[in-house]
Amino acid sequence: MSNVLRPYLAAVRSTLTAALTLENFSSQVVERHNKPEVEAAGSKEVLLNPLTISRNENERVLIEPSVNSIRLSIKIKQADEIERILCHKFTRFMMQRAESFIVLRRKPVPGYDISFLITNTHSETMLKHKIVDFIIQFMEEVDREISEMKLSLNARARIVAESYLTAFNS
Amino acid sequence: MILLEPHNVIIQTTLSEKILKPSSVDVQFVDYDGVRFHLSTPERKTVLLLSMHIRCWDELVKYGALNVLKREYGSLLQPQSEPEYNVSLAIDLEQLPASNEDRESFIMSIALFKRNALAAPFEAGFTSQKSLESAGAGTGELMQIHYRDEEAIYIQASHDRVTVIFSTVFRDETDRIYGKVFLQEFVDARRQPSIQNAPQVLYSNRDPPLEIRHLPNLRNTEDTGYVTFLFRDYLHYHIKCSKAYMHSRMRHRVAEFQKVLNRAKTEVATSEKKTVSGRTLVSR
Repeated sequence: MSNVLRPYLAAVRSTLTAALTLENFSSQVVERHNKPEVEAAGSKEVLLNPLTISRNENERVLIEPSVNSIRLSIKIKQADEIERILCHKFTRFMMQRAESFIVLRRKPVPGYDISFLITNTHSETMLKHKIVDFIIQFMEEVDREISEMKLSLNARARIVAESYLTAFNS
Repeated sequence: MILLEPHNVIIQTTLSEKILKPSSVDVQFVDYDGVRFHLSTPERKTVLLLSMHIRCWDELVKYGALNVLKREYGSLLQPQSEPEYNVSLAIDLEQLPASNEDRESFIMSIALFKRNALAAPFEAGFTSQKSLESAGAGTGELMQIHYRDEEAIYIQASHDRVTVIFSTVFRDETDRIYGKVFLQEFVDARRQPSIQNAPQVLYSNRDPPLEIRHLPNLRNTEDTGYVTFLFRDYLHYHIKCSKAYMHSRMRHRVAEFQKVLNRAKTEVATSEKKTVSGRTLVSR
């Protein structure tokens, strides 16, 4: 991990750990309903201050806490067209499998590439620090994966072009 | 397999089989660029009729495809082609070359049927370049071969070069971007000393090259790229391969993330519950 990335991830980790203090909380608007308040946004008093952690203008994390759920959205670095396409494909791949990634949201929050929704049920059935680990590891590896894929695409293109043009030598 | 083969594998294998053991056959198959083949034995088991349908046949004939095919196949070329097809060859299995090597090269030449037909305009381009070279100036006729629905090859000879332009359409946004990467590499790869002999490759996106800019009905959109000296199928084949590779890689990575998340789940005791009499409790 590079030295620039470390403080960014450390900030996300501690903010997320602090925000993950969730409790069971029934809806104040509809009787016998219990839904993630950050999504329903039915009553203002149970929403806490959202927080943005930015590494630079292209990479940031938005954490929106509430009494019984928190929403975490990640904007992944996309330097050029290829990275944009690869990032889009990769996040789409994950979001299509959202059922098995229990904490993943099916759609990202506008302006971000991928969103997670952690409710109090998740924090009860899963280990809190392991959920944080998962998200940090995801952030760490997604950048690396995308740049590796880009490199391998370029390498392949080079080999393909060379072997085609070498055929003219004979 | 990095390089695509120019011959048709189905023709090659079927012919080799039939030479060893003649039997009646009736197969239809396709090649790249919507070319259809029909291989049959209409009269006798030993006479194979191979017909080809190619969508730009009229244009190819205009540029001398019949002469090239006559030169390659001689008397095999049928004067009357099979209905619904453009051109037919009759191969008499009883009059094949005797030696094994000759036989191999004969089969190969039949398998190159489509390539030979498409070669005509290129040969015409090279000959007209030769004649223009002695003249010292001027440009030859711009030949257009519309070999797919929206894609075409343009060939033009001038006194010092022959320009071949392949236009290609990327249906998919991802393909377009991948295509751009690949084509850029084609341009860059030629800078290497070992492949300096290869023809120069130029690639332009959106704007057609100067040679064909005056043509009417050009689709001037973002998804049409113009490739100078490049074989379309080869390019598209590798773009698709890269996509497949990226997908399998992403699949693997997603599975890895899944494992990380599963580690977060707290263990639930899953021992079998039994009653005193030994029956198993099953939860529904």
